[in-house]
Amino acid sequence: MSPRPLPGPRLRRVLALVPWIADHPGVALTDLAARFGVSERDLERDLELLPLCGLPPYTPDRMIDVELVDGHVWIRFAEYFARPLRLTAEEGLALLAGGRALLAVPGSDADGTLATALEKLAGALGTGDGLAVEVGDPPHLEALRRAAAAGERVEIDYYSFGRDALTSRRIDPYAVFHAYGHWYADAWCHVVDADRLFRIDRVQAVRPTGETFEPRTGDDAVGSTVYHPSPDDPRATLELTADAGWVVESYPCEEVEERPDGSWRAVLAISERAWLERLLLRLGPDARVLAPPELRTVGADAAARLLRRYRPDVEG
Amino acid sequence: MVDRLERLTNLVATLLDTRRPLPLEELVDLVPGYPSDKASYRRQFERDKDTLRGIGIPVETTPVDALGPEVGYRIRPDEYYLPQFDLTPEEQAALHVAVTAVRLEGGAGPEALWKLGGLEGEAATAVAALPTVPELPALFDAYRERAPVTFRYRGETRRLDPWGIVFRRGHWYVVGHDHDRADERAFRIDRVEGSVDRGDAGTVEAPADLDPSDLLRDDPWRFGDEEPVVAHVLVDAPQAPGVVHQVGEHAVVERRAGGAVVLGLPVTNVAAFRSFVVGLLDGAEVLSPPELRAAVVDWLDRLTEAG
Repeated sequence: MSPRPLPGPRLRRVLALVPWIADHPGVALTDLAARFGVSERDLERDLELLPLCGLPPYTPDRMIDVELVDGHVWIRFAEYFARPLRLTAEEGLALLAGGRALLAVPGSDADGTLATALEKLAGALGTGDGLAVEVGDPPHLEALRRAAAAGERVEIDYYSFGRDALTSRRIDPYAVFHAYGHWYADAWCHVVDADRLFRIDRVQAVRPTGETFEPRTGDDAVGSTVYHPSPDDPRATLELTADAGWVVESYPCEEVEERPDGSWRAVLAISERAWLERLLLRLGPDARVLAPPELRTVGADAAARLLRRYRPDVEG
Repeated sequence: MVDRLERLTNLVATLLDTRRPLPLEELVDLVPGYPSDKASYRRQFERDKDTLRGIGIPVETTPVDALGPEVGYRIRPDEYYLPQFDLTPEEQAALHVAVTAVRLEGGAGPEALWKLGGLEGEAATAVAALPTVPELPALFDAYRERAPVTFRYRGETRRLDPWGIVFRRGHWYVVGHDHDRADERAFRIDRVEGSVDRGDAGTVEAPADLDPSDLLRDDPWRFGDEEPVVAHVLVDAPQAPGVVHQVGEHAVVERRAGGAVVLGLPVTNVAAFRSFVVGLLDGAEVLSPPELRAAVVDWLDRLTEAG
């Protein structure tokens, strides 16, 4: 026997189904299943339940009347369920944030049906214009979206933040998406002959190559973690003061230990040395590398290198 | 044995239909499926009530009459029913595209559309993912209900009239009037400590024509109460385009041959400014004023000594 579904989600569906069917007498089960994203079998189970429901004293005239004929359905005597349940904060937020984000994507129609739908929705939720979702519009976004849509190979100049280096490379952009605040191109990189994610705000130029590539199908890159620690990446053990505790929350740590005095010991995968340099330079005395020995002086060495810009006359 | 879903559906129907609050004894007598023993039916009803409230059903606990201490339960139809707003099929389809193209992490997603008539048209390919954080729905709700909020932030209690919610650069912010600072402020919602307490709904009045994005000062070095100074920072060519995109074109005071830029940045928080500059590694340099340049040099000196 399969586990019984939790009552919450199914109750939500039933409470949404009833008013919709009552408003659309004779709707086909197949349409309903598609509209509510459920199987016809689940739908039939919901509909079998409803005639057992109604109001006290549960005499036949007080029960919900469900008629199912040749794959079409009618519902009567459920006036108390004439309207669906209002939207919860989570639902309203998901709809509005999704819509506002999509409207903010460059190239979307600011006055189209999505905009009018959101206006009605915001009115019903009482939110007005106070929810803003910004997705950003880096300079080469449009060019890369076009290249991805058309399957065009391009050459880009790219600033690698982790390695602190500017390079040119040919890429096949499979997909362009926004995740957690930044736009990315998921692409095949011909320099390393592997898949890479490129942050589009670090792309400094896009040039056509005149070549095309085969689009990858069934691929869905959104939500994939941007940095996957590789087993080969070196690990660093850091000691962090309580003030630097945000590091533990902001980066994937492989081991975390909070000490009684509020300080932390954390193990992080380090893909690129420059990344660790930036972290240590920002944290200053709030962080110390405990291990491995070869990474202990990364922060001090980077600081000495930066100081050479400020004191060019001093031997670094 | 009455199915739990059947019992819950009957419970919602009965609570919606009643004109007066129903005491628990009467309710469990009316709705089939509750045990007869008092301790058991009380426990079972508490679970049911939590389930209903958990999916957003406004089950009200209220005195049965003005005189006695006895409480009863009801659902007010005007609080339960979705307000009437008719979407065209095209608008429903546009929302379907939106919630499938943009995923709010852990969000209700397409199921939110059930109440608006279900899924019209086709789903879209995903183009964006937005993170969610624990107190975001509560703050969004307080904002739309125009209720003041109180929460802990960086170890302090803050009292805020929420005027809006903004997503920018990967983070959610609540913006509004901060009673303790008597000024407009923005707070990163993921840094709110613990849960948000709400005051009375309908008491917050946001300024007309407010754009919440305007209240969100972007650059961390401007989040501070120090005497403002304008710092000039030289950024070398490799990182210049990205940094200009981040701080805005208006901050560029000089463009040098080869692609380097000099930025003029108003600073009211030296520590945040220093973090920004050292984060650019040796691809940037503070040119002026001397005291900010000295603050960076001093910081770096201490780091080299520690190593």
